[in-house]
This record gives sequence, C-alpha cells and structure tokens, in this order.
Amino acid sequence: MIPGKYRSVSGRATNNVNCGLHLVIQTSSLPEKNKVEFKLNKETPSFPGRLLQHDLERNYSSRQGDHINLVSSSMPSFPILQRSSEEKILYSDRLTLERQKLTVCPIIDGEEHLRLLNFQHNFITRIQNISNLQRLIFLDLYDNQIEEISGLSTLRSLRVLLLGKNRIKKISNLENLKSLDVLDLHGNQITKIENVNHLCDLRVLNLARNLLSHVDNLNGLDSLTELNLRHNQITFVRDVDNLPCLQRLFLSFNNISSFDNVSCLADSASLSDITFDGNPIAQESWYKHTVLQNMMQLRQLDMKRITEEERRMASILAKKEEEKKRESHKQSLLKEKKRLTINNVARKWDLQQRVANIATTQDRKDSDSPSQDPCQIDGSTISASPEETGSLDAGLTSALQGLAVIDSHLVEVDGDTLSLYGSGALESLDRNWSAQTAGMVTTVSFTFIEFDEIVQVLPKLKIKFPNSLHLKFKETNLVMLQQFNALAQLRRIDQLTIDPQGNPVVNFTLWKYYVLFRLSHFSMQKINGTEVTQNDMIMAERLFGILAHVASSELPQYRLISILGDARKKQFRYLLETKGKKPGIVNEENNDSKRLVGENTNRATLNYTTRDFYNEKLEEIKEKKKFCKMYIEDLVKEATEINMKNEALQKLWPQMFIELVRDAVIEIRNKNSYMKLCLQQITDQK
Amino acid sequence: MLSPERLALPDYEYLAQRHVLTYMEDAVCQLLENREDISQYGIARFFTEYFNSVCQGTHILFREFSFIQATPHNRASFLRAFWRCFRTVGKNGDLLTMKEYHCLLQLLCPDFPLELTQKAARIVLMDDAMDCLMSFSDFLFAFQIQFYYSEFLDSVAAIYQDLLSGKNPNTVIVPTSSSGQHRQRQVLGEASMEGVEASLFYQCLENLCDRHKYSCPPPALVKEVLSNVQRLTFYGFLVALSKHHGINQALGALPDKGDLMHDPAMDEELERLLVQVPGLVNSVTASPEASCLPSRTPPRVGSPWRPLHHSRKVDAESDGSTEETDESET
Repeated sequence: MIPGKYRSVSGRATNNVNCGLHLVIQTSSLPEKNKVEFKLNKETPSFPGRLLQHDLERNYSSRQGDHINLVSSSMPSFPILQRSSEEKILYSDRLTLERQKLTVCPIIDGEEHLRLLNFQHNFITRIQNISNLQRLIFLDLYDNQIEEISGLSTLRSLRVLLLGKNRIKKISNLENLKSLDVLDLHGNQITKIENVNHLCDLRVLNLARNLLSHVDNLNGLDSLTELNLRHNQITFVRDVDNLPCLQRLFLSFNNISSFDNVSCLADSASLSDITFDGNPIAQESWYKHTVLQNMMQLRQLDMKRITEEERRMASILAKKEEEKKRESHKQSLLKEKKRLTINNVARKWDLQQRVANIATTQDRKDSDSPSQDPCQIDGSTISASPEETGSLDAGLTSALQGLAVIDSHLVEVDGDTLSLYGSGALESLDRNWSAQTAGMVTTVSFTFIEFDEIVQVLPKLKIKFPNSLHLKFKETNLVMLQQFNALAQLRRIDQLTIDPQGNPVVNFTLWKYYVLFRLSHFSMQKINGTEVTQNDMIMAERLFGILAHVASSELPQYRLISILGDARKKQFRYLLETKGKKPGIVNEENNDSKRLVGENTNRATLNYTTRDFYNEKLEEIKEKKKFCKMYIEDLVKEATEINMKNEALQKLWPQMFIELVRDAVIEIRNKNSYMKLCLQQITDQK
Repeated sequence: MLSPERLALPDYEYLAQRHVLTYMEDAVCQLLENREDISQYGIARFFTEYFNSVCQGTHILFREFSFIQATPHNRASFLRAFWRCFRTVGKNGDLLTMKEYHCLLQLLCPDFPLELTQKAARIVLMDDAMDCLMSFSDFLFAFQIQFYYSEFLDSVAAIYQDLLSGKNPNTVIVPTSSSGQHRQRQVLGEASMEGVEASLFYQCLENLCDRHKYSCPPPALVKEVLSNVQRLTFYGFLVALSKHHGINQALGALPDKGDLMHDPAMDEELERLLVQVPGLVNSVTASPEASCLPSRTPPRVGSPWRPLHHSRKVDAESDGSTEETDESET
C-alpha cells in the first residue's frame, strides 16, 4: 500500500493552473465496487516504504461515485457513454471510467466541459474519441495497452497526462500540449527522450521503468522541477544543466558508473535532491565524497539529508585526492623529464664515441700515410683530435652542437644513491651538499661519463661523500686494466659494479682478479653482485703478485720516489686548492694519505695517468730530452777530442821521447861546455 | 782498447752503435726530472743505481714506449720483464685475447702501441680470426720476434711482397747474377703458387741482414729455418722464427719454451706473498723461511740471463799500457 502523503512541492510553485485542481492520493482501498474513485495509482508497490515521485493532491474526497452507463452506440466499434443528468450536474467536470474492461475509448457525448477523465485499468489500445473534450485538463490512462501516443492534438488545455504502465515505445504527438504540467510515462518501452522540448510548463516528468540508455535532449523544459528516471539503463546524463528549475532528479537503478558521465549535474545550480542508489557508481569508495564535492548545492543524497559533517569529510577527502593526483602528476612529469634527459645524454655519448672512433681510425690511417692533409673543424664542441677530415665528421659535430641546447646532464640523489649522467654532472660535486644528504649516500653511480674524467674528480668524491662504499660504472669507456689503478686513491670501496654495457674491460678474462689484486687493501666484498671469496683473493694474488713484487722491489730507489711522489703531489695539489675552504679536513687528509701510502707500497707504484696527462708529461719532457741530448753531445765531443788528443799523443810519444833523450844526450856530450852552459843559465836567471 | 774494429769507426758512431749515448742521455734526463728527490741522496748513487738497473734489465719498467724501443737491450729487458711478471698468468692456463695481452703490456708500458700487439697476434693466429684466444707461450714467443726484430720484419714483409708480385729486388745486388736471372724467370712462373721459394727468399734476407743497421736474427739460424721447406708464406716464416729455439737463445731474453713456466726464485716470492693475503688461515706452502734464499734482497743473481750486447765488461779489456788512460777516469 502506498504509505503516507507527500505534500506537493508544486503547491509552492507559481505556475499552477488556476483551475484549482488538486489531487490527493488515496490511501484506503476501494470502498464499493461500483463507486469509482479517482485514483491515482503511482509507482508500483514494489518500493516498500520508498518515496513517491511526484504527488498530486486532490481535495476531492472519494465519496462520490459516478454512475455511468455504457450504451452501445450506432457505430459498431465504439460504445457511447451517457451519464444521468444529475450526475452530469454534480460532477460536470470529471468522469471516471476505470476498470470498465474497455478496449477502446468510448465516444463521450455532451460532456464538453469535462476537465478530468479517468480511464485507469482498462485495456484500451488507442487514444481516440476524446478530441472533442477540449477543456480537458486531467487525463489518466494508467494501466492500459496503449502503444502510441496519439489523439491528443486537440487537448490544448491538458495539464496532467498519465500514461504510465502502457506499451508506448516513443514519445510523440505532444506538440499541442503546451500547457502540460505533469507527464507520466513510467512503465513503458520508451528508448529515447524526444519531442518534449516545447513543454515549457512541464514540472514533473516521470520516465521510470523504461528503456532509456542515456539522457539528453532536455532543453526547453524550463519549468521542469522533478525528473524521475529510475529503473532504466542510463549510462550517462547530459543536458541537465539546461533545466533551470530542476530540483529533484532520481536516477536510482540505472547503469551509471562514473561521475564523469553525469558531470553536467555539477553545473546545475538548482538541483537539491538526487538519488544514485542501485547504480554501479554507488558501490565505489569515492562515491559519496565525489558527489558531495562536485555538487555543493545538494541537500539530499539518496533520500538522506546531507549533514555538515559529511560535507566537511567530503571536501577533505576530495582535497586529498586532488593532492595525490597532483603529486603523481608531478612525479610522472619528473620521471619523464629524467627519462628525456637520460636519453639526451645517451645520444650525446653515442655521438661522442662514434666521432672518437672515427678519429682514432683516421689517426691510424694518418700515421700510415702521412701525406694526408689534416684540416681543422672550427667550433667543434667535442675534444676530438684536430686531425679529423671529411664531411662525415662535420655532420656529427653539428648534430652534437644541436644537442647541447637541451639538458645535457643529470644529477639525482635518491636516498642512498647518487646518480650522475653525462660529464656535465661531475661539476655538481662542487655543490654545497648538506651534511645529511652527503652522509647518507653510500652508492655512487656514473653513466655516460668518460672514466678518465671521473678519475679527476675522485679526490672530490672522497671528501664530499665520505660514506660512499659502492661504485657503479656504466657506459664509462673502461678499456684498460690500468684504469682500475686510479680507484686505489679512494678511502674505501666495498662493492664495485662494472656494467658490461659500454665498458669493454669486462670482456677480459682477468679483470676481476686484477681489481681484487690492485685494490686488495679495500677488502672488497662484492664485484658485480657476486661475493668475493677467499679463493678469488688467492687467485688474484697468485696471478699478479709477482707484478707487485717487481714493481716495488726491483725499481731503483729514485724511480720509486718519483712515481710515488707524483701521486702524492697530485693529492697535495688538490688539497691546497681546497685548503682555503675547509682547513679542518686537510689535516685529516694528511693522516689519511700517510696511512694509505704505508699500507700498500707494494702496489702503490701501479698508477694510472689518463692519456691526456700522460701525453702532456711526455711533451714536457721533450724539452729536457733535447737539452740532455745536446749536453751529452757536448760531453762526447769533449771526450772524443780528448781521446783523439790522447791517441795522437800515443802515436807521437815514442818519437818525442827519443828526441828528448837525444837532445839531452847531445847537450851533455861535452861535459865542460855543458857545465859552462848551466852556470850561465843560473847567472842569467838572477 | 786499440783493437782495429774500434778504430775503424769514428768515436761518436762507435758510441752510438753501442747505445752508450742513449743511456747517458736518459740518465741525465731522469736526473733532471727528479732532481729534488735525487739530490737528497747524491748523484753518484743515482748513476750507480741507474746503470745497475740497466744491467739487470729493470730500467724499462713503467717507462714510455719510445725509450723501451730505443735499444735492443731495452727490448730484450722488456720482454724479460713481461715474462717474469705475467708468467703466472700463463701458468694458470688462461687463454686470452689480443686485447687483453695488450692490456697486460700496458700495465708495464702505458703507451705501448696497439699495432705491435696486433702484429704479434697475427703471427700466432696466422693472420686469421683476430679475436681468437691465444696461449701465453705462443703469444710471448711471437711477440718477442715481432718486437725485437720489428724493423727487420717490416723489411722482410716488403721483400716478401716484392717476391710475390714477381719482382726480385736482388737482381741488381746479388753477385751471382746468372743464377739470379734464372731464379727471376722461375719466380715469374711460380708467382701464382702460395708463398715464395725458400732459397730465393733466403738470399734476399741474407743481403738484408748485411746492410741492415737494425738488429737481425743470426743469418745462420735463418738459413736453418728456411732450409727445411721448399716454399713458405710470410706468416709461416714468422711462426717458424718464433718457434725456433736457437733464435730464442740467441736473443737471450726468454728461457726455452719448456722452461717458460719455471722461475723458482719468483715462485718463492709468490708463496711468501700469498701467505700475507689478509684472512688466509692455512699457509699455502711449507715454511718458506726454510729455503736458503734471504728474505727481501732483490734477486740480482740467479737468473740465467745475460745481457747480450753489453757482455763485455770494461775491466775485461784492460791492456798493459793503461796508466795514461787512467787519467780520464777522474
């Protein structure tokens, strides 16, 4: 049974007709058989305790009945209706013909003043024979078998049209019903909302229990206050924001699954009451606060009042969602930027490698055929040798210059890992890192940077990131075992990862053993993820131990000093540079280096100087070599001259000796004259 | 002192031929570079150490390639040093690629050129599949030939090419001109077969050895190599050279192939070092202290190697009348 009464909201509305028609819902059952009451059978009672859509009040009691007589007429199909005159006078404006087993609309004669006509619960298939009732205001054809809306074109005053529970498939032929106030089409087979755009006085539209799949085409319904769309198959709703007066919208038991599909609701300022229960959207965790947040104007949701608390919760949750979305958006932006930068760095690296390869092969060609003229490429941004020739290189260098405009390196600190991409990133080591950040970093990863460049910043790394224990190298051009010697200057390494990509040294059979050997004072625990075993250490020592022995004990003293001195000189030079900034650390460094040198003199002579430095050194030595050569030449000349003179003397000496003796003998042959000669010589001297 | 061959050359050239000047220049250069350090303990000691190390063959360690290549003695010393340092790698049985051997070479000489290593590898691999793995002994002997006689080999290559293409570079020079012309016609006919005829090849090489100022393998041994075959290819010839014991011994840098892995003195050192590996619980061998060698003296004696070109010591040549020459030693 239909529970309570509901006041009509339309009672407050201004667009009510002045005929004063109000219809009240009957709560009691039919008292007598013959008495026909005006009954408005609304929603099927399958909604226990649930709400009714629109309510029409009637203030006519149900006491009256109408006596009707259905007389067969002269026309074969249509009966003619006649009423007694007293009834005509009493109830001149209404006629009830419900449950009369009518299959057709009877012809109603002489009732031109009729304003209310009730055909409920019959079997009428077509609306006919009512065109003459041009004063009709209320027409009830609930629960019939009507398949098409028709025959209404003359009822220009019609206000209430109840066509619920019929078989109507299409909304049509309502063009002239411009005064329509209530249109009830529930329980039909309507698939589309159409042909209602002219009903600018319509206040209530009931399309429940139809076959609608979407809602649109609602413009023009400027008075619509209530729209009942329950029990359809609606997936999305549009045009509702074009309804300036819509206050109640019932969408229960449809197929709405996302708020985006009903987004127009947010734009409707008039909506205060909405139901979504029975839709998939109502099962979602974000349902309530999303609806509340998007429809601030709501007063009731799913027939429950919205409290302030709920609203507050909704806005908080919605803000949180917003935050989360913004965060994730920012994250994905960052990630994208990182990815692009890394790609850029990789491309630059690739180009560099290719150019370097061309340069080296051409170097070799040049050395074979020195007749080639070297030509220089101006403004080259890469450090390739100036002996490149050919247009291929020009193309590559210009491409490289183009790339330099975008971000060319990336520095990232992620918890305990510092990642450096691209050689420009090495400069970031000069930055002022907070002690906390720097202290947390235990892993340093280098990618797309030449190892020779990394070597030069290792002292900085040692100072700025003292806890770095794990070094990773990828695409760093490690080609020689020697290069690992450079890592010995660090304070400590627990783990080393050399990615095979871009590091040809990994292809060597002995590289791991060499690393273990040269960096044995670190007692490394892992290389490329695999644990270092005792056997590995023994093997490393076995393979290269003699090298260390030879390098330390068989070098002459001065060489030892000079080689070690070089390494220490470099350290001190760097320390002098930083001396101004951090005096406290310098002392530490001194002790450190002393300790280190003491640890491993055995291997300390195995150093690595980058190729550039090495060539520089050789260049410097050239001057000295020239000087030495000249000096030695002078010495040799002197020596050979002396030697020649010596040999000449050797040859001449016997002869000279004989002559000396002969001269002496000749002198002494005459004793007397010799004595006189000697005395004279002595006197002459005085 | 006054032997005729000495006086045949003017002084400067004599010194140059014996590479005395190279060492003098290098010594003075080293002195200049490290004068702060050396001035601490005296120049006389420096020169002593320097020439001692030249004698022992340790002077080439970690030096630049131009110095290592400068004299045959340097080259031989370098080969020997390489053998001693990396013999353990060979003993371990690892087969390495050419690049890795080059790496090992670079550990001792940072700017060692790749071409030499490549050429040596070509000898081992017979100019085929340059990425193949090579054993230590194969590589070492081939490298010895390539490095020690590198200029000689370049000329030999040129001669070989000429012979292959039919030109006999010796038709002008060979004294027995009639036989040379016969040979030339023969060579033209045989150019399509693989390699060159051994005897003709030998004649060219003999001439090369005579007029070449760089070091060459002893002609008698070359003849031995070439007498065994009728025809041979360039790399076949080189391989034969590298495997020839006599040439190896004539060079004097490396021990025989059979003894390549043996170096008892170094093995003792190694055992001592292994004991010191941190965390090692069991000592690897029986007490090395029991051996007769003293603990930390550098092994100045005991190696069977003697320097070839400077074997004559100064005092072995003393004649009678040296009183006057003693003056020059002040």
